Amino acid sequence: MKALNSTLQQWIRIEGMDLVLRLTLLLLLLQPLGNWRVRGIVLAIAAAGLLVPALQRQPALWLSLTFLTAWRLFLEWPVSDNHSYLLCYWCLAIFIALRREDGTSLLAVSSRVLIGLVFAFATLWKLALSPDYLDGTFFRVTLILDDRFEFWTLLLGGMTPDLLESHRAYLSQHVDGVLFQPLEHPAEPASFTRLARAATLWTVAIEGVVAIAFLWPWEKGPAQLRNALLLIFCATTFAFAPVAGFGWLLVILGIAQCAAENHRTRWLYLCVFALILLYRELAPG
Amino acid sequence: MTATRASTHWLAYLPSTLLVAVALSQLVLAHSAALSPWAGGGFGMFSSTDAGARRHLHVFAIRPGLEIEVPPPRALEKLARRARVLPSDVNLRALALEISALPSPDPGAPTSVRIEVWRTRFDPETLIPSSHMLRSLEVSLEGAQ
Repeated sequence: MKALNSTLQQWIRIEGMDLVLRLTLLLLLLQPLGNWRVRGIVLAIAAAGLLVPALQRQPALWLSLTFLTAWRLFLEWPVSDNHSYLLCYWCLAIFIALRREDGTSLLAVSSRVLIGLVFAFATLWKLALSPDYLDGTFFRVTLILDDRFEFWTLLLGGMTPDLLESHRAYLSQHVDGVLFQPLEHPAEPASFTRLARAATLWTVAIEGVVAIAFLWPWEKGPAQLRNALLLIFCATTFAFAPVAGFGWLLVILGIAQCAAENHRTRWLYLCVFALILLYRELAPG
Repeated sequence: MTATRASTHWLAYLPSTLLVAVALSQLVLAHSAALSPWAGGGFGMFSSTDAGARRHLHVFAIRPGLEIEVPPPRALEKLARRARVLPSDVNLRALALEISALPSPDPGAPTSVRIEVWRTRFDPETLIPSSHMLRSLEVSLEGAQ
């Protein structure tokens, strides 16, 4: 624990921009890109950037990463995860910032607006565009069918493995059209209904307030809660949601918009970065 | 000084302008071309049961008087996944042509291939699943091979 704390203290003392660059390169190593055509080159560039600090601030390195992450999106379009798009925009933002004298403040603006927009679109989908989110259907179905949530469904949803299996069989009935004689709907434990409802409300509420705080144009009001809200979102959501790469990227963007003198908040962001790694390594199943 | 500030601002907003452009086009494609809300850079993940992986497709090899369902082989999973996530004419046609090139146990080559992409909806009360066809495309193979 002491060693971890001293490592974190060393990283906090790194100049803001350098910390962001290092963490982004680390992210590319921890979460290699999916497409084999670009994965090897990106891994080599990220490793070189981490091993040779002089390379980190070379715009050419970030321009290459921007092209490679964009190429990957093109090759896989439209099936890439959403955070792959965010990673591409982020590499572009770093490239632009490194070409400017006021790069640190420019990167802070870029990261703040990117975070705000990501959460704004996520909230828009949940509140207005998706027909089956707000009525709770999404989480009632996902907690059952997505085995990445199985541990939490069993632990917090009051399900036994047998009951979970019968729910899966019920939801997975293959139909083309409408079922005339569906299987009988297995009983839904009250704690499962509560879990699905809580997940529905919490997710849309925290994403909505993060969007407002980061897109708020003034430094007073909701803007003062930016770091606290993003830290809460990352520390809670990625314990359940199995997308560590997205979590790390949000943490890095959070650090980039964090004031240089705000050491405590940077320390907390680094703790959450480590926490997400822990979540991933300890993920049940 | 003002010019520097203005250009700084413009550059700072370039990545987010790209994000908005891609997210808005994803929104349009989701409504006009049945693109899955989870895909395409619109940040609609974890908002809908209509994920690409939850969609299914049926492929039929058609000859005069005969229609046989052909399960897409694992080797074509990448194309099938793309067709499920965005069932556009281009993606469905690409899958149909690859499937038509597969060896068939039946005598005679198909004259066309039809692909249907379905999504599952769940009743908000009982969660009874019901599937709805999103897109269907019949690709004539005459002159294509």
